[in-house]
Amino acid sequence: MMRKTANIVLLLVAVAFCYGLQLSKPHYGDLIGPIPTRGRTGETIVGRNFEARAEKVVFARNLKADRYGETKILTTGGVWAVVTVEFAARAQSTSVAVASWRGPTGLAYDQTERMSFADGLLPVTIDPGLPKKARLVFELRPDEVSNAILLISEKLMSALDSQAEISLGPVATASDSLPAGTVDTLDLTQPM
Amino acid sequence: MFENAGSRLKAWLVAGIGTAAALALAGVLGAFGAKHEPMQLLAPTGRIETGQWLLRPLRAYTAEGENLYSAPLKPGAKALVFEVEMTNRTAKSSKDYFDILQASQATVDPSSKPFIVLTRDSTLSPELHPGMPERMAYIWELPGGSAPPASLDLRVIGKTYKQRDNLYGLPGWFNPAPVGTLTLPVGAGSDTANIQP
Repeated sequence: MMRKTANIVLLLVAVAFCYGLQLSKPHYGDLIGPIPTRGRTGETIVGRNFEARAEKVVFARNLKADRYGETKILTTGGVWAVVTVEFAARAQSTSVAVASWRGPTGLAYDQTERMSFADGLLPVTIDPGLPKKARLVFELRPDEVSNAILLISEKLMSALDSQAEISLGPVATASDSLPAGTVDTLDLTQPM
Repeated sequence: MFENAGSRLKAWLVAGIGTAAALALAGVLGAFGAKHEPMQLLAPTGRIETGQWLLRPLRAYTAEGENLYSAPLKPGAKALVFEVEMTNRTAKSSKDYFDILQASQATVDPSSKPFIVLTRDSTLSPELHPGMPERMAYIWELPGGSAPPASLDLRVIGKTYKQRDNLYGLPGWFNPAPVGTLTLPVGAGSDTANIQP
């Protein structure tokens, strides 16, 4: 009788212990996620294969770009954000392909796919000792602009690889709810 | 043989009672109820939620395949266009909108996939960003020689969110299931008026 009770108690303790482990331990998705390297605008962020330094962020109502020789004006329902980033490879040539803008509420905005014809955007191939600049173009809601984090990684499934996390800092809002200093049309045909 | 008859009868009885109890329990839990629920009719002048997307139908029309948002249609082909305002309700940019609208077999060849175009600048199936409504056009190529349909029947498909899927333990949208059906009048030509502002 004593032995039976002890077994039942042991079983219950084991169940409680396993449940506690399940609640408190990180899940598989968290364990194999990207490894963040944090910094802010102007700092060089060193990842495993690449370095990135965000130079400036420009906001615009419209973008002007060349598409096979004709000029195209791209409008948006929100606001365009164009980040100029300097990339450098570390030990070997690589390419950086993926960037997204994480707003203060956690919404993640990928780079726009409406400009696949334009030059100077990601993916950018980089070689050691030859830094290269690229533009990251995002289409955002105006309320996701301030205190955002820029996430840059080499490829989409960057499991267990480094991801640059660049804090872009606060952005003042003008009276028309767009960020202060928003230009009307930003010409992307100009050199960076 | 006869000495076993009692126990065999007992076994048959137990099995029968067990089966009946299992069926009754499944019935109480609703296992047979879900199958025959009629499809919900969705109002075209309203907002439709599919889980990931918020849809606001705007208009449907047929047109010749020229200047239809630069969709790569066959030359001279007729197309059925459905324009809808779509808002991404999720927290991430997404283009998981290829299977949310199924046109009925009577109007469109079921094997033909629609071209999905952003009407703002005719980009073919771009990612849509969280909380930013965009006007999109679903363009089905109509089979040659067929009369233009008078109305468009659409089946709206929604998905459900799972914090962790069973294979990778990652969050995502799974289990497509119909939300309801939608019927719109089909106008002629691209100057058809919107059914809601």
